[in-house]
Formats: sequence, structure tokens, C-alpha cells
Amino acid sequence: MSPVYRSTLVSLAGLAAVAVIAWAAAGAAPGLSVFAAGLLALLVYHVRHLARFGRWVSHPAQGKVPEGAGSWDEVLAALHRFEREAAKREEMLADALARFRRAAQALPDGVVMLDADNRIEWCNDNAAAMLDLDPRADTGRPIANLVREPAFIDYLAAPNHDSMPAVRATAAQGVVLALQLIPYGESQKLLLCRDVTQAERVETMRRDFVANVSHELRTPLTVLVGFLETVRELKLDPSRVRDYLGMMREQASRMHRIIEDLLTLSVLESAPPPPADRVRMAPLLERLRADASSLSAGRHAISLQGSASVDLLGSEEELSSAFGNLVSNAIRYTPPGGRVSIVWSEGPDGVSFTVEDTGMGIAPEHIPRLTERFYRVDRSRSRETGGTGLGLAIVKHAVARHQATLEVDSKLGAGSRFTVRFPPQRMMPVEPLQSRQEN
Amino acid sequence: MGASEHLSKQFEAELEAIRSRVLEMGGLVESQIRRALDGFNSGDRATLDDVIATDHRVNAMEVALDGDCSQVIVKRQPAANDLRLIIAIIKTVTDLERIGDEARKIARMAKNIHERGSVLAPPVVEVRHAAERAISMLRRTLDAFARLDCNAAAEVIRADAGIDAEFGAILRQLITYMMEDPRTISTALEIVWVAKAIERIGDHAKNMAEYVIYIVKGTDVRHTGAVTIEP
Repeated sequence: MSPVYRSTLVSLAGLAAVAVIAWAAAGAAPGLSVFAAGLLALLVYHVRHLARFGRWVSHPAQGKVPEGAGSWDEVLAALHRFEREAAKREEMLADALARFRRAAQALPDGVVMLDADNRIEWCNDNAAAMLDLDPRADTGRPIANLVREPAFIDYLAAPNHDSMPAVRATAAQGVVLALQLIPYGESQKLLLCRDVTQAERVETMRRDFVANVSHELRTPLTVLVGFLETVRELKLDPSRVRDYLGMMREQASRMHRIIEDLLTLSVLESAPPPPADRVRMAPLLERLRADASSLSAGRHAISLQGSASVDLLGSEEELSSAFGNLVSNAIRYTPPGGRVSIVWSEGPDGVSFTVEDTGMGIAPEHIPRLTERFYRVDRSRSRETGGTGLGLAIVKHAVARHQATLEVDSKLGAGSRFTVRFPPQRMMPVEPLQSRQEN
Repeated sequence: MGASEHLSKQFEAELEAIRSRVLEMGGLVESQIRRALDGFNSGDRATLDDVIATDHRVNAMEVALDGDCSQVIVKRQPAANDLRLIIAIIKTVTDLERIGDEARKIARMAKNIHERGSVLAPPVVEVRHAAERAISMLRRTLDAFARLDCNAAAEVIRADAGIDAEFGAILRQLITYMMEDPRTISTALEIVWVAKAIERIGDHAKNMAEYVIYIVKGTDVRHTGAVTIEP
């Protein structure tokens, strides 16, 4: 028998016994009224507990299950236990959910959870940043309303997007995103987004590079083949043949230079860090100035400013080829009569090597791309002057291997300034004069 | 009671679907401008031709959305908020279609410029910069429309002045180019058209932002000068 019945029966039996005693002692009326009063008290007790229980049920606050007395106590205690366990379970679930969200939050990719109607259920911070979502306010909004790239809309509407490759979408500021939908659960989806701007750029560079190499090598080859055919087919007088051979030689040496530069670049890219040898700057600067004068052949005013009281640590071959490239560029792109200055300056936070010219200058849109391989500001002109299109790429790589930076500052029509800045750890005081003479 | 609740749910869903389609059209238009400008920068014929060919999709969406809006008005006789939303959508769609036309115009001009082979590089950088601003305005307007966000819309309205100023600067630069070297005139004129189209895109985006405020607040902020939105 359930304890509730038992305790009710016990209290009724007790009440009946008291009533019978009262009846026996004082007669029927008092006996019955004692019984009635007892029943009324029992009713009040039950109604009061029921009312308190009802109040709690309609607003079940955690840990506030009402306490009771008598038979209600057992029932409410059981409810209290049950409620405590439920709270614990809920806490565990919430904890698991929070852990899961933290894990999703920590993913490097953007993650958006979508419901069956493609509405946003949840997104991590990366997704919010990439797709420009508001993690709180945008919950429940259709994803297609906020990510409106037509390719993505089609992808979302496609019946079997799980087998389709990710689509590209352009976000603000030219960022390229790869978006992929992964179905899960009943009909929910996970939208993954990854920033592929860099990968995309590398891919473009690779494609351009292959196309450019082929083009650069084909141009001189076409000329060579043309002359070869002319010489073979036609009877020419020896002086003409000699002229042609001269031109062919020029083209061949052009191809040779391109391949040399390509090899230099690939060595710079794959070789171990340069040795930390002493590179004597004073003679190197003097040599650069002398080379510049002979290249210019008196057409430019060439000056060397600043004297080296420190030397650099690094590879002399790489540094002199990088500096030489900057100087020869300045001379090639400065019309006769212009000025080219080589400036060496030293300071506590490093040294810098600068080549300044009063040449044609470079428009701002070209400057960020100057060090790309085969990038040419003006296609016809630079080939005329004999450039391979690889010089600045070599400079950039060579100086980067010495922890130095290349800065370009230019104004169209007014001239350019190329500065290589070395950090202090690449500096070394010049050796005493005697030891230099001994060497 | 049950029947009318069901009806209003259905109505709600219809409005929601129309709103999503407006935003889809917005996305298409945005990608049209972006590709037209990519083509303008790179001279890629295929992209430019594709932009011109895709314009009919924008037009078809305009016609379809207009039809849907009239349907809703006739069938549901919306009032208050819902009516304002429908009216604003009809106007927004018109502006979007115009932006689509501007994208096509930019693509056409870009084709002309690149077919001729540019004589020199007039202020292309400035044009690109103005274009970035216009695209960002359009994007933010569409976001504001999706979220019914008044403050974002007000920001777009204020941003329009910047594009207008940039258009003026581009124009002055082009005039200098044309005076210096008459061979640049035809290219420069075409660039004026491109810049003008970009400036118009900014204006249309501003109009759309005004409709967003109209939907949310019910106030007409057109031609009222400074926009002040109290939260």
C-alpha cells in the first residue's frame, strides 16, 4: 500500500478513535463535531499544500520546491530529488553544448549552422567576420539574405550540394572566400567558409609566371628563327650576314640572361640562409659608383653620398648583385642629363642603402607589383633597355634573405627612390685600417 | 480565428519570400558591378561580354518581383507596415534594375576603352577607389534592408556625399588630361561615363537606404538634407 494511503488511513483511524472516545464521554453531538473538526483540519492541510504545490508548478523555480509536512513531505521530497537531478542533467548538457561551441569557435574556418529553411542558427566569430554577420542579431535570418553572391544562391538552391565543390564568393575589400555546405542531422546544414585570397593570388601568380616565362623566351627565339631562315634561304653578302649574326647573338645572350636570372632566383629561394661574412661596404659602394659611371657613359650625373663606417654581415655576392640591380635600373630608366645618387646612411636603428634618380618615375598602381617576376610597367620600353623583368624580384629575395626590406617611393615624372633598410643585427663596425691593408 | 491566423502566416511567408528575392537580385546586381569593374581594370573581354549578357536576368527579376508585389496588394490588401514594405520593395527593385543598367554601361565603356588601347593611364586609380566605395555602399544598403537596420541605412545616406566629391575630382583630373593631350579625349570621355555610372550607383544605393528608413520608421527622409535617426 502506498505511504500516502497509509498515512491518510492512520490519521483517519486516529481521528475516529478520538471521536469515539468523545462520543463515549460526552455524547453524540460533541463526538461528531470533534470528527468533523478533524476532517476540516485535514482538508485545510491538504488544500494549503496543494496551493503551494500549484504555485511552484506554474513558475517552477530551480531549487524552490516547497517543503511540506506529513504525507506531503514524502511526495515533495521525491519531487525535490527529481528536480535536482534534472537540473544536474541540464547543466551537463549545457556544458557539453558550450564545449562544442567553444570547439567550433576555435576552428580556423568560419562555421555557420543552418536550419532546414537555411536560416542562421549559430555562427562562430570567424564566420561572422568573414561574412559580415552579427552573431546575435542575425540568428534566425535566412543566410541567403546576407550572403547574396549569385553563385552561392544557386549552390544553396541546388538539390545535392554535398557532392558539389565549394563556391567562391567575394567579400568586402576583395577578400575571396570558399564556401561549402555540409548537410547533417535531419535537414540542417553546416556552412564552412575559408579565406582563400592568398591561395587564389598564389595560383594567379603561378599561372602568370608560366605564361610570362614562355612569352619572354619565345620572343627572342622567334627573332632568332627568323634570321636563321633568312640566312639559309637567301644569298646575302657577307657583311649583311655578319650584321644578322650580330643581332642573333644579341637575342641569344638575352635568352641567356633571362635563364641566368631565373636560376639566380631559384637559388635565392631554395638556398640555406646566406653566410654571415663581413661585406666591406666602402669598396663595394665605390665599385657600384664606378659601374654606374661606366654604364651611364657620361650621360648622367652620378654621385655617392655618405661614407661607410660600418660593414654588413651577409653574402657579398647577393648584396652586390641586389645593389647593382638597383643602380643599373636607375640608370636605364633615367633619361640622359638626369641625376642618379647612391646614398649610404647609418643610424642607431640600422643602415640603409638608397638609390635615387630623376627618371620617369612609377605610377602608384604599379608600385606594389614591381617585384613580381616579369612585371613590367611599360612592356615595350623595358625590353628595349635590355631588362629581363627579373631584376627587382632578385633584389627583393636577396635583401629579404638578409632581413632587410625594400622600400619604393616614386612620383610619376619626377623620379624614384629605392631604399634597402638593414636591421642593426646585420651591422658590424669596420675593422681597423691596418688589418684592412693587410688583407 | 484559426483560419485568419493561418492566412496571416501564409501572408508573412509570402512577404518573406519576396524580401529574399529582392536581396537575391541585389546580390546579382552587386556581382554585375564588381565584374564590370574587374573587366574595366583588366580588359578581359569574356567577363565584360558576360556582364552585358547577364543584364537580362536582372531585368527579368525586376519584372517578376513587380508582378509578385501587385499580386500581394490585390490578394492581401496589406496595411500599415506590410504596405510600406511592399511600396518600398517596388521602388527598391526599380533602383536595383537601374544599377544593373549602370553595370552594363560600365562594361560597354570598358570594352570600348580596351579595344582602342588606352593612350595613357588617366586617373584609373581614382575611378577604382570610387567604385569600391559605391560597391560597399550597395552592400551595406542591402545588409540594412535584410536586417531592417535604420542606423546602417543612415550611414549609407551620409556616405553618398563622398562619392559625389570623388566624381568631381575625377572630372577635374580628366579635364587636365584632355587639355594636355587631345588624343586622350575619346578615352577620357568614356572614363567620364564610367565615373558617372559609379556616381549614379551611389545615388541609387542612397535611395534604397532611404526606403529602408521608410519601412522601419514610416518617415520619408528623401530630400530632407541631413538625416538624423534617433534609436
